[in-house]
Amino acid sequence: MHTLRPFAAALLLCGAILVALTAQQQTPVEQPAASGATSANAIPADERSPRNANYEIDARLDEDAKTIDGKATIRWRNITDDATTELQFHLYWNAWRDAESTWLRERRIAGLYEPPPPDAWSSMDIKSLRVRDASGGMRDLTKEMRFIAPDDGNVRDRTVMSVPLGRRVEPNEGVEIVMEWTAKIPRPFARTGWIGDYYFIAQWFPKLGVLESDGWNTHQFHAATEFFSDFGVYDVRLTVPRRFVIGASGRQTARTDNADGTTTHRYQQEDIHDFAWTASPDFLDQTQRFEHPTLPAVDVRLLLLPEHRGQADRYFAAVNAVLKRYGEWFGAYPYGHITIIDPAFQSESDGMEYPTLVTGRARWLALKTTQLPESTTAHEVGHQWWYAMVATNEFEHAWMDEGFNTYATARVMAEAMNPNRIESRYFGGFVPWSFRDIPVTRIDNDRLAAFRLNSEADAQWTPTYQYWPATASIISYNKTALWMHTLERRHGWPTVQRIMSTYFERWKFKHPTPSDFFDIVREVTGHGHYWFFDEVYRSSNTFDYGVQEFRSERIDDKTFRTAVVVRRYGEATFPVDVVTTFENGEQIKETWDGQERRAIYQYERPVKGATVQVDPDRVLLLDVAYTNNSRTLTPSSGKASLKWSLAWMVWLQDLMLTYGFFV
Amino acid sequence: MRTFSAPGIAATVFVLTFLLALPLAIMMRDALASHLGGSLAAETAASGINYDWWQEFTAQATGLGSTFTPGIIGFATVLDNISGLLDARARVATLAAALMLYLVGWAFLSGGILDRYARQRPIRAHGFFAASGVYGFRFLRLAVVAGLVYWWLFAYVHPWLFDTQFEKLTRGMNAERTAFLVRAIFYLLFSAILFAVNLVVDYTKVRIVVEDRRSALGAVGAAMRFIRNHPRQVIALYGLNGLTFLGLMALWALVAPGTGGAGLSMWAGFVLAQFYIIARLLMKLQFIASQIALFQANLAHATYVSAPVPAWPDSPAAEAIGPTPQSA
Repeated sequence: MHTLRPFAAALLLCGAILVALTAQQQTPVEQPAASGATSANAIPADERSPRNANYEIDARLDEDAKTIDGKATIRWRNITDDATTELQFHLYWNAWRDAESTWLRERRIAGLYEPPPPDAWSSMDIKSLRVRDASGGMRDLTKEMRFIAPDDGNVRDRTVMSVPLGRRVEPNEGVEIVMEWTAKIPRPFARTGWIGDYYFIAQWFPKLGVLESDGWNTHQFHAATEFFSDFGVYDVRLTVPRRFVIGASGRQTARTDNADGTTTHRYQQEDIHDFAWTASPDFLDQTQRFEHPTLPAVDVRLLLLPEHRGQADRYFAAVNAVLKRYGEWFGAYPYGHITIIDPAFQSESDGMEYPTLVTGRARWLALKTTQLPESTTAHEVGHQWWYAMVATNEFEHAWMDEGFNTYATARVMAEAMNPNRIESRYFGGFVPWSFRDIPVTRIDNDRLAAFRLNSEADAQWTPTYQYWPATASIISYNKTALWMHTLERRHGWPTVQRIMSTYFERWKFKHPTPSDFFDIVREVTGHGHYWFFDEVYRSSNTFDYGVQEFRSERIDDKTFRTAVVVRRYGEATFPVDVVTTFENGEQIKETWDGQERRAIYQYERPVKGATVQVDPDRVLLLDVAYTNNSRTLTPSSGKASLKWSLAWMVWLQDLMLTYGFFV
Repeated sequence: MRTFSAPGIAATVFVLTFLLALPLAIMMRDALASHLGGSLAAETAASGINYDWWQEFTAQATGLGSTFTPGIIGFATVLDNISGLLDARARVATLAAALMLYLVGWAFLSGGILDRYARQRPIRAHGFFAASGVYGFRFLRLAVVAGLVYWWLFAYVHPWLFDTQFEKLTRGMNAERTAFLVRAIFYLLFSAILFAVNLVVDYTKVRIVVEDRRSALGAVGAAMRFIRNHPRQVIALYGLNGLTFLGLMALWALVAPGTGGAGLSMWAGFVLAQFYIIARLLMKLQFIASQIALFQANLAHATYVSAPVPAWPDSPAAEAIGPTPQSA
């Protein structure tokens, strides 16, 4: 008997395990994610966001129907000083419901419209909306929902929904909303959608607008804008076919394999204001850990497509470069993890930022000497500071995140990613060629070339959603990067770094406005720079200083009179140096306030003048024509033009021979 | 051998290529010089690359000036031009006119070139140009037919293939390499069609000259018969010439000069580039000569029949007496 006891016990134990396993198969049990991670928050309590828009979402992807069915429990708190009687939601995917949405109308007006194929359209339909009332019961407000168009009155636009509550929600009072919806996933539109079995899902759930002191700030979805929402805690369960690898905002805290062949992935994150996710069976899941002596460690997860397998190190290098430099310059990245998505070809999901998740951009044929995937990846990771944490209103002030980030990314690229070269792509854009003689400079990454062509497109203070869609990015990204870099050249990097770090520390997890930034410039530099912001922010004037005349003539045996006329060709003003150099090397530097149309300087010297330069240190990077900023009495234009016309002639001869194929 | 035994022909087509490009290059130089003016930007543009100035120039440039892109540097020229052709890139009017002139020039000279290579003995300049004149009008008629075919290919087949079909086949693709593979296949397909048309046009010209055919359309039929009867030889020869072209491109990719200064290195680079242009011209001439040789070697009756009046050298005595009988 004694010998049988252990055997019987083992049998019983095996049986119990079997029963337990069977039971587990029948009733899915949530398992901690493989990483064993929890949603432990590294953000100190006193630095946390208001967490007033909290979402618990359960969503299921139907791969065949290309739909998402979702249920969200939203706990929202009124953090303004005024009561409200309604709620407003963004239903972004209705922008591609039909061609009459504001988004598509604006694209048409701007000449950016191509009729989408029939299966491209999307929609977001709310099936039910209930709000918990004072008694604790749920009140059905589904029939109360109505679409509004606060920006343009377009009655066909369904991207903003208003729900009257029938009662007042007082300051600091909360509301619990339970919504169910079905969303039809678009073929890629504005960085979201599906292509093949790759999904990038952004702006996919009904999202509350932002209640401000003067009411709801819930803009329609416009062709030239991105997004704006309040911070909160996100707890999202995504159910997808098991073969998919998932990436999402936040950290995965659980994973459940369901009996129907699907898997439910749970992601949680505090202090974020949006949630995006992606799914593909092809992702290669790679991780690295960013470590730094003074900054918190960050787990970097890269979901890489097989055709870009060789570019993993380049992705990680870009992420690390930004985590290090932005961390040192502006403030630490506090979330402890970030997910980088290598987007699929034609998914249009490349180069986009979401809290703790960004998409890069890579090409199958990628040269080591050029900037992809580094530049896009660096830019999007940088958005964790300027967008994800310092959460400006992208409908109204997109320049505050896109522009600041373009400026800072250019700094990172110049410091960490050099040398790299200009690239052209041939044969349908598939075949790259880099020019070893043409390095990419910081000014190139400030995007001066495109700005030059559209410098007057819009005044920056115009709300972004009213920018001309075709040139909106130039005013938001390029112009801001150039004026920030101009500030840096005028005041030095330490001052600008102090401005930006102060701005970051003060406004992270908040929604600053332009005046908040200008106040910090005044606080740090000691003066308001009103004249500067009048030019670069409040006007669309163009900067263009140049040399109008430069002469040096003998007036007697011992003296030459050198005359310099410098001119303000543009409407915008900026103080500039004017440096005249004489044949003996002597230099005279004048400081011109740049206000009048021209300034005239005359010098009498024993030698002739040699050169004159306006803004020789190129402080004013917004000057759209720098070639006219200098003049020499011994020009090299003959040599330069001969050299380049000979090179061009060879190109032309080659072109002739290429077409000579036909005879 | 036929090519190298007639260096004058190579010299003539080189002069054509050079002289047609020269006035446009002078226009480009003037535009560049005008934009640079007395600016110090010219110094860096002369000693290396001033990309900032370059971008500023192209931002305001129109017409010919808009073609001043980094694609003019080194081997990028080849990629830029072949890619431009295969992607049916539109050309600015001035360039299109120059290209048309160049093609007309080649069409005119082709008669003399083919005549010389078919005859395999010197015909001197006036014989060459006489043959060019004789066949020029026939080639012009052929050019109309060939031009219509090429126009149809680029106006209809190209967009159907590279826009409609490419879009249709790749719209669901989420892997770039697969899409590139499709595009590469389309390039091969479209190139194969171009090569086929080109082959027919080539042998049509050969038959017009070697058999003194007056009817361009009749010669087209004859060329197609020849190709149909000798497909392996014709295609092998075309392929061999194609491979030689690729070999030259590979060599040029290795040695193509980048951007030097404005002094000796500029001229050295230009001279080297002219050698490359000459090499490409020689290759084209060799292509023509080899097709004639193949034709003459394969068609029993294809002895040279057009037989213009031989031009004998004048003796010093005859010159002293007066006009020669031929010119009387």
